[in-house]
Amino acid sequence: MKIAISSSENNENSKVSDRFARSEYFIIYDHDKLSFEAIVNTAKDEGSGAGGKAVKILGDAGVDIALVPELGPKALEALLAFDIKSYQYPREKTVKEVLYLYFEKKLPELLISTSKGKH
Amino acid sequence: MNIAILSGKGGTGKTTLSVNLFSYLNKGTLIDTDVEEPNSHLFLKGKLIKEEGVYKKYPLVDDDLCNYCGKCGDFCNFNAIIPAKKKVLVFQDLCHDCGGCSLVCPTDAIKYIDKEVGKIYHHQIDDNKLFLYGNMTVGEVSGVKIIETLEETTKNEEILLIDSPPGTSCSTVAAIKGADYCIICAEPTPFGISDMRMVVELLRAEKRNFGVVVNKYNLGNSEIFKYLEEEGIELLEKIKFDREFANLLADGELLINHSEYFTNKMANIAKKVLGDKND
Ligand code: SF4
Ligand code: SF4
Repeated sequence: MKIAISSSENNENSKVSDRFARSEYFIIYDHDKLSFEAIVNTAKDEGSGAGGKAVKILGDAGVDIALVPELGPKALEALLAFDIKSYQYPREKTVKEVLYLYFEKKLPELLISTSKGKH
Repeated sequence: MNIAILSGKGGTGKTTLSVNLFSYLNKGTLIDTDVEEPNSHLFLKGKLIKEEGVYKKYPLVDDDLCNYCGKCGDFCNFNAIIPAKKKVLVFQDLCHDCGGCSLVCPTDAIKYIDKEVGKIYHHQIDDNKLFLYGNMTVGEVSGVKIIETLEETTKNEEILLIDSPPGTSCSTVAAIKGADYCIICAEPTPFGISDMRMVVELLRAEKRNFGVVVNKYNLGNSEIFKYLEEEGIELLEKIKFDREFANLLADGELLINHSEYFTNKMANIAKKVLGDKND
């Protein structure tokens, strides 16, 4: 199982990002290998459609679960299409901290988007 | 000459200014590009001479033919089509109608469908004036295509007024694309100023010439005039608040038919903006 967390920097001790699709990095935690890996979020500079593209990056990386600060409607729809479940973390924590919260089942699952898309 | 009329937020008298200035002119065309909430037609009583649909093409993917190769998603510059695990997602509002995804699809899984995104109504006003407004289909998210069609239809007009959507959205940017001059309609509330500031920044970024009409200047404070002076922005005209005006507007009346004061204001604005083009 792979879990992705939106992160402001490139390791598991970094602060989580305030934004999903425009975060700097995704930290991918591989629960089978117990390892962390950082991938650069190339969707963050997209003029439009960053949400869908960010999800595609996670889908291509084989992610099963995403821990996010917020989600727009397109990102949510794309996550569902990639069979990725998403959970919302509180701000100002580190990647590791929100991961613990997830395993303690303290993060709410996101089933509706938290923000309006931009046009 | 194309003149766009804008405002930071709704309800600053933008439509009042647009329809009255238009009615004051001897000739010209007005387009209402506030396609989400058009309301100029409530004041302009003309004859409907044409009604046309505005269409956009969208990719439609046949999931049975698709082999999830991912080529369409790699090709699309707008992230409008995203092949996921068991289906291909299409975000219609992001699609720019380029046709590329169907060209690169190896299995011919992508067809295009036409979808009506809105309508445009053409009205004849008097003998020599035209008024067009667009209306977006309920449920659509972007009016840009309708606005572009309105602008395309009227691009050769000698004098064109463009009633633009309030704020600084993509729709506003689309509306001012062909404008030679912009008039910002503002009110002297602190709130009005911060909204207006964003419009000013947009117009500066887009390198447009512009001036400001201050509506209801006898209400609120003088902050707005200080701001205009500090920024070196031209004050085109200031218009007072009058209960009588509010009543007339509520009845769908044009103010220039009832108030000499208001007519003079329109004359002044027309002179400053159009010079002798209105003669
Ligand atoms: S038509 Fe063009 S913009 Fe629309 S989804 Fe296909 S490639 Fe993207
Ligand atoms: S290019 Fe065609 S076959 Fe490939 S994923 Fe897109 S729709 Fe499916």
